[in-house]
Amino acid sequence: MGRSDAARLGVADPGRRNFLDLVLQIGFVSTAVAIVYPVWRYLIPPKMAEPASAASVIAGNLAGLKPNSGVIFKFGSKPGLLVRTPEGDVRAFSAVCTHLSCTVQYKADTSEIWCACHNGVYDLGGNVVSGPPPRPLEEFKVNLRGEPGQEEIVVSRG
Amino acid sequence: MLQRVVDWLDERLDLDDVRHFVGEKSVPVHVHKLWYYLGGVTLFLLGVQLATGILLLLYYRPSAEQAYESVQFIVTTVQFGWLVRNIHAWSANLLIATAFAHLFSVFLLKAYRKPRELTWVTGVVLLFLMLAFGFSGYLLPWNELSFFATKVGTSIAGALPLVGGFMLRLLRGGDDVTGATLSRFYGMHVAILPAVTTLFVGIHLLLVQRQGMSVPPSIERKLKPGDELPQMKFFPNYVLRDVVLWYVALALLAALAAFYPWELGQKADPFAPVPAGIRPEWYFLAMFQVLKLLPSHIFGIEGELVGVIGFSLAGLVLLLVPFLDRQTARGEPGRIFTVLAAIALVFMVAFTVYGYIAALQAGAAP
Amino acid sequence: MPAARHARLLPLAAALVLGLSYGAIAAPAAKNSCATCHARLTRSASALPSLQFREDVHRDLGFTCADCHGGDPTSDDQSQAMSPARGYRGVPTGAEVIARCAKCHSDAAFMHRFAPRQRVDQASEYASSVHGKRLATGDTQVATCASCHGAHGIRLVHDAKSPVFPTNVAATCGSCHSNPEHMKGYTLDSGAPLPTNQQAEYETSVHHEAMVTRNDLSAPTCNDCHGNHGAAPPGVGTVAAVCGTCHAVFAVRFDASVHKQVFDRGCAECHGNHAVKAASDRMLGTDQAALCGTCHSEGDNGFKAAIQMRAAIDKLKQGLDQAALLIARVKNAGIETSDQELQLGEAANRLTQARTEVHTFNPAPVDGVVKDGLGIVSRVEATGHSAEAELRFRRQGLAASLVAILLVVVALGLKIRQIDRRAGVSAPPAADKGGPAARA
Repeated sequence: MGRSDAARLGVADPGRRNFLDLVLQIGFVSTAVAIVYPVWRYLIPPKMAEPASAASVIAGNLAGLKPNSGVIFKFGSKPGLLVRTPEGDVRAFSAVCTHLSCTVQYKADTSEIWCACHNGVYDLGGNVVSGPPPRPLEEFKVNLRGEPGQEEIVVSRG
Repeated sequence: MLQRVVDWLDERLDLDDVRHFVGEKSVPVHVHKLWYYLGGVTLFLLGVQLATGILLLLYYRPSAEQAYESVQFIVTTVQFGWLVRNIHAWSANLLIATAFAHLFSVFLLKAYRKPRELTWVTGVVLLFLMLAFGFSGYLLPWNELSFFATKVGTSIAGALPLVGGFMLRLLRGGDDVTGATLSRFYGMHVAILPAVTTLFVGIHLLLVQRQGMSVPPSIERKLKPGDELPQMKFFPNYVLRDVVLWYVALALLAALAAFYPWELGQKADPFAPVPAGIRPEWYFLAMFQVLKLLPSHIFGIEGELVGVIGFSLAGLVLLLVPFLDRQTARGEPGRIFTVLAAIALVFMVAFTVYGYIAALQAGAAP
Repeated sequence: MPAARHARLLPLAAALVLGLSYGAIAAPAAKNSCATCHARLTRSASALPSLQFREDVHRDLGFTCADCHGGDPTSDDQSQAMSPARGYRGVPTGAEVIARCAKCHSDAAFMHRFAPRQRVDQASEYASSVHGKRLATGDTQVATCASCHGAHGIRLVHDAKSPVFPTNVAATCGSCHSNPEHMKGYTLDSGAPLPTNQQAEYETSVHHEAMVTRNDLSAPTCNDCHGNHGAAPPGVGTVAAVCGTCHAVFAVRFDASVHKQVFDRGCAECHGNHAVKAASDRMLGTDQAALCGTCHSEGDNGFKAAIQMRAAIDKLKQGLDQAALLIARVKNAGIETSDQELQLGEAANRLTQARTEVHTFNPAPVDGVVKDGLGIVSRVEATGHSAEAELRFRRQGLAASLVAILLVVVALGLKIRQIDRRAGVSAPPAADKGGPAARA
């Protein structure tokens, strides 16, 4: 179809028509991609499959925690203290000292929980033994989960 | 290739009706034709809500303990979760705004007159459904603002006479706003309301397709007998224009999502005091502000009760406009209802702005 | 039958006996004619003691008025009951009070019968106290047992209504020590008159607030620093040891510092003795509001140290605030920040520790801890900035998609014009032309 024929029929120049159609096609495809691509990525589960629950967290392995030792773990955005008593009991507390929020630690020589900032001392029940802390440490619930010998320690808020 | 598929279907389903519809449907062309597009944009935004809502459903957890964290997870960890959530939140507001605009344009152009009364009625019901969607969806992130907004909103329902107490318990799933309320609102938001909305949208669209577009009386009166308005083919002319608007809406949503992200807020704590200047979303703000301003007793009746009854009556009147506007039904210029519509519009805009300013003064964050 | 009838009365009789004996347990079995008569007297000054005695812990344990005042509590005849021949000793004053209380309370074997854990050295402690020493010289204005514990309505120390319950101690001591009339004539070692504002000052202190507002009964009151029965102000050089019983980490550093040799009043030089306010960073430094400038002047080592320490702490505080703002901003925009918040908590710990190190009055340890904290802060800020970069990247991605959308909108607009021109917008279509199927 020649150009003059096209003009007579009131149809736009085929060359220009094809270019416009091409541009339109590119536009549609790219916007479609701009929609489908995010949806596709959204559907694929992220590496951390579940929300970091404010309610519970895996704090460590039983095998890796020796009696009469303690280790700090992350619970939400606050530190927690995982303690294995000399008798082998596993306990977990908030590691935020109730005095001025310093992070407490486990002292193996006295088997107590100690805050280095102002010498606050807590016993293995979280109760204040001496020093400035006004309240006991918040205690968390501890559950063991998994095959014997490979248990995970799951800490959750009461 | 496409032609082969169409032929295959044609042999089995007889697509003549479809061909006729596609070829013949047309839209009148006149100076008010721009308003015709609002319905389509509203439908598009509803579609966006459906799609983003389904995506959110895949990660959201509807329990008081996990709701907030799941939304946080979507927004921070899921790839493009921030985009999906923000588009859903912004599109909700845009949807209600266009629904109101669509309502007012139909109201002022008197498209509700015979034979389109049912279209109007289903449309008003759809507006109420959109508001219910907004109210129920707002609670789902389970943050401080949404918790207290729901508390205040459901307590207003409790002000209704006779059925108030029952309504309050029905809405809240108990006496207070708790996880039970969240479950209930979730069920409403993702199952009940979508089902009812689908039904009414279906009816609404069917009616529009059967009856075609209404021409405003002012245009009709100008036509000389025997004259007809120029027409635009629905496919592809009108549809392509609609699609342009949809793309513009999409661009607006994406920009809003990136530049004005919806905040997560603080997790709801039922024992915390009500935040200063607590207010509902803008589409309830006018009503809220009026209720706040009413005196405690009017002619011996509790002020809040008068307000709630007043708004319920207004809603009823809105639903029945086609049957109440006798002037337009007779073919006269329906001035009364035009004026009523204008007053209502001004009133609602003014009180929304007032409500916003009052909340800011009381200490709410902007 | 008589036997059966008596049998039915048995439960009633048992109840009666039990009821009466319960009353007997609550009230001393011994008769106390003193209280019976005195309670009926019309002059309140004479009646009061016996009324007060009803609340007394000694009464609950079976003691009578005669155990302190002597006399015969079994006799209803006043001349017999209050006869010196029967041991009546009257109202004790001064050293007699100490002697009478100590008769039981310093007897370990005796006290063992009632309160095995209670101490029995109060009287000897008292003798070493300022009150005790002055009483020995004949000063009867000083406090004795009854001044603080009461005379007739004595309650256990852990009874909240006791005048020596922790929350009441300041008021009890203040009843003499805040009374200028009573304290007239007493002087400090330096010769200046003894102040009477200690209670008022204490009530503005953070220790008082802890006890009264935050219900922390372990907060110090008068006796925690001055002693109970051996009450005496801490001497020169011992203030730090006294404060250090609770504030150990500070006392240890202070003792090793240069100020230990210089400060007579130890911790009280900067923190006050009674009106101890909550410490703040503003106390450190050389500006108007700070304390270091009181002794140190421009150019000396202390002046320089003060400036350096204050600057270090301010720097860490500022860094913390900045990082917190950045993380909050990024969190609000939808980035996961729990790790960073945890780190900022650790950095805040360093700030607390830095404030402790200030008490070495040596910039080196302060700088060390601050440097630690600043390291954490800068790591957090780095992650914050990369999160901001991620947010910027999102906007760039958006801008790209907007370009694509714009392209489509423009192209669609042109296409519409093209299609309109070809067909579709015109006079009303003729009926049933059966046009071609639309091209999408």
